[in-house]
Amino acid sequence: MKKMSLVHLKASHKGKVVDILGGVNLQNRLMSMGLYKGREVGKLSHIGLRGPVVIKVGRGILALGHNIAVKIIIEVV
Amino acid sequence: MIKKIYLIGNPNVGKSVVFSRLTGVHVISSNYPGTTVEISKGLLRGGDEEIDVVDLPGTYSLEPTSPAEEVAVSLLKEHPKNEIVVINIIDSTNLERNLLLTTQLIADGFPVIVCLNMCDEAGHRGVHINTEQLEKLLNVPVISTCAVTGVGIKLLIDRIGDAVPAAGKSFSARERWVQIGTIVDQVQRLEHRHHTLREILEDASVRPFTGLVMAAGVVYASFKMVRFVGEFIINRITDPIFINIYQPILEKLTSHWQENGFWFHLLIGDLIGGKIDFKQSLGMLTTAPYIEFGMVLPYIISFYFILSLLEDIGYLPRLAILLDNLLHQLGLHGFAVIPILLGFGCNVPGILATRTLESKRERFIAATLISIGVPCVPLQAMIFGLLGKFGGFYVTGVYLVLFSLVLILGIILNRALTGYSPEFLLEIPPYRFPPIPTLIKKLYFRVKGFIVEAVPVVMLGVLFVNMLIYFRLFDFLTSLSAPVIHSLFGLPKESVIALVIGFIRKDVAVGMLMPLGLSAKQLFISSALLAISFPCIATFVVIWKELGFKALAKSALIMLTISVIVGTLLNLTLL
Repeated sequence: MKKMSLVHLKASHKGKVVDILGGVNLQNRLMSMGLYKGREVGKLSHIGLRGPVVIKVGRGILALGHNIAVKIIIEVV
Repeated sequence: MIKKIYLIGNPNVGKSVVFSRLTGVHVISSNYPGTTVEISKGLLRGGDEEIDVVDLPGTYSLEPTSPAEEVAVSLLKEHPKNEIVVINIIDSTNLERNLLLTTQLIADGFPVIVCLNMCDEAGHRGVHINTEQLEKLLNVPVISTCAVTGVGIKLLIDRIGDAVPAAGKSFSARERWVQIGTIVDQVQRLEHRHHTLREILEDASVRPFTGLVMAAGVVYASFKMVRFVGEFIINRITDPIFINIYQPILEKLTSHWQENGFWFHLLIGDLIGGKIDFKQSLGMLTTAPYIEFGMVLPYIISFYFILSLLEDIGYLPRLAILLDNLLHQLGLHGFAVIPILLGFGCNVPGILATRTLESKRERFIAATLISIGVPCVPLQAMIFGLLGKFGGFYVTGVYLVLFSLVLILGIILNRALTGYSPEFLLEIPPYRFPPIPTLIKKLYFRVKGFIVEAVPVVMLGVLFVNMLIYFRLFDFLTSLSAPVIHSLFGLPKESVIALVIGFIRKDVAVGMLMPLGLSAKQLFISSALLAISFPCIATFVVIWKELGFKALAKSALIMLTISVIVGTLLNLTLL
């Protein structure tokens, strides 16, 4: 299985979160919004030039700043 | 004995709407996370007893990760658990994510009652939740409501007494999500739906190309609509009332008064060609009400109508995504677009809304940029009203000057201030179509707020200025400042009063500039200076309260410096 950061996942593809390369604070914040290791996510879009990545998590939509998105490692499903 | 009811829930689940339903106190609600930055309190009257109800800012978890969440959690722990009831409001369309907080509340031993809000929307989206089953699994009362229309609220009130602490096990967050997954599987049934037009639009608005096209369209259309509706109200409603009804009455009533008497001067002001001129007479019964009701109010109505519409539909968070890049250059992130847009109505709520930004640095940058480069409605009404007759070129020009100033100053502040810009992390709500009565109610409260705050101040401002003129203090003050105003900015010395008075309220300054008969260039410079230099005193106080005296002093110094530079530059470069 191929691993990559959310930034590199193509739009409208799906992946499973395998790692979050952030401190405890970021991990907790994302966890409380429903984004944690093992969660399946779908990428909706990516605003270019280091803009936010928009993903679908469960029934909700999350926008993550570029520097957060690079820390989220997914495995392509 | 229940002493307090707390409303808690994830951001943007409709806590404030439930709050209004329970207490009858109106609070502004919108379709984006973080509308509630102030804690609202109200009373629930049931039979002969009254219970305090507190509307807490949205939080995802009981382990707070932002200042607003900290406030919510610390308030919750103010009273012993047996004296409170916690109403946990949940967005039925996104049960899974909302249940984290619910399970935490139950595990911590709070007496919880769960309110499954937005039940109608869940139905539309093909989400069906078995309420009884959920009640059994969570071991707390669960009520399905639709707060916008009021469905289920009575039942919710009836069952408040049923909330008792339920036995819950402690889990780590990770284990909790597993537990939640099994609960959701048992109570939720999803109907398969094809993509609706709404969902296609939702997706298109966050994609780079279609999103930018839509954003440009929405911003342009909003601006045009604000002007169109505002001008419509002025030409069709307020101007006819003032000129055809109010003016003849006023002239008749005062026809036997002595024109140079003190009271005549104060109330009516100067007659222009033997008649009252609402724009130039400068009396408390002539120009003062005309500025407020005939010039500013129409734009307040049109601006807040369009803003409320955009807020309730849920477009603003999408605009935030698209502007994140740009705002990063200014040391902010995408979400700052919301305080900035609110600032276009009035700087005060705009600066209050910076509470949703994480760091103090960000809040300072946002507050400074808003008070310098974001003209409030009264100021914009002046730009339209006074400068509009010289052509769209000048109007656009003022906006362009302010916009470039925000960019330049933002980039400088971002480089000069230590610290960093936090990253953007925002939940994007679905598009919702607000019921018209909700929209009208929100508009009504915002307009009422404006009238209550603005009218007395403008009256007093005009009174104060009239006194200055009557007792001939005006000339003394103007000649003091003439060197700067006249030689640097090319403005007549009288306009200094307008700039100083702008500190009280921008609308009073408008009244001061009107009788001066300024040229297009002079009006252009005055408009820009009124925006850039000190904001009104209310904004000043809010910056002080929110960010402290040091930040206010720094901000004020920046304003003064920039005013002098920009005023001089404009005077030298414009023909």
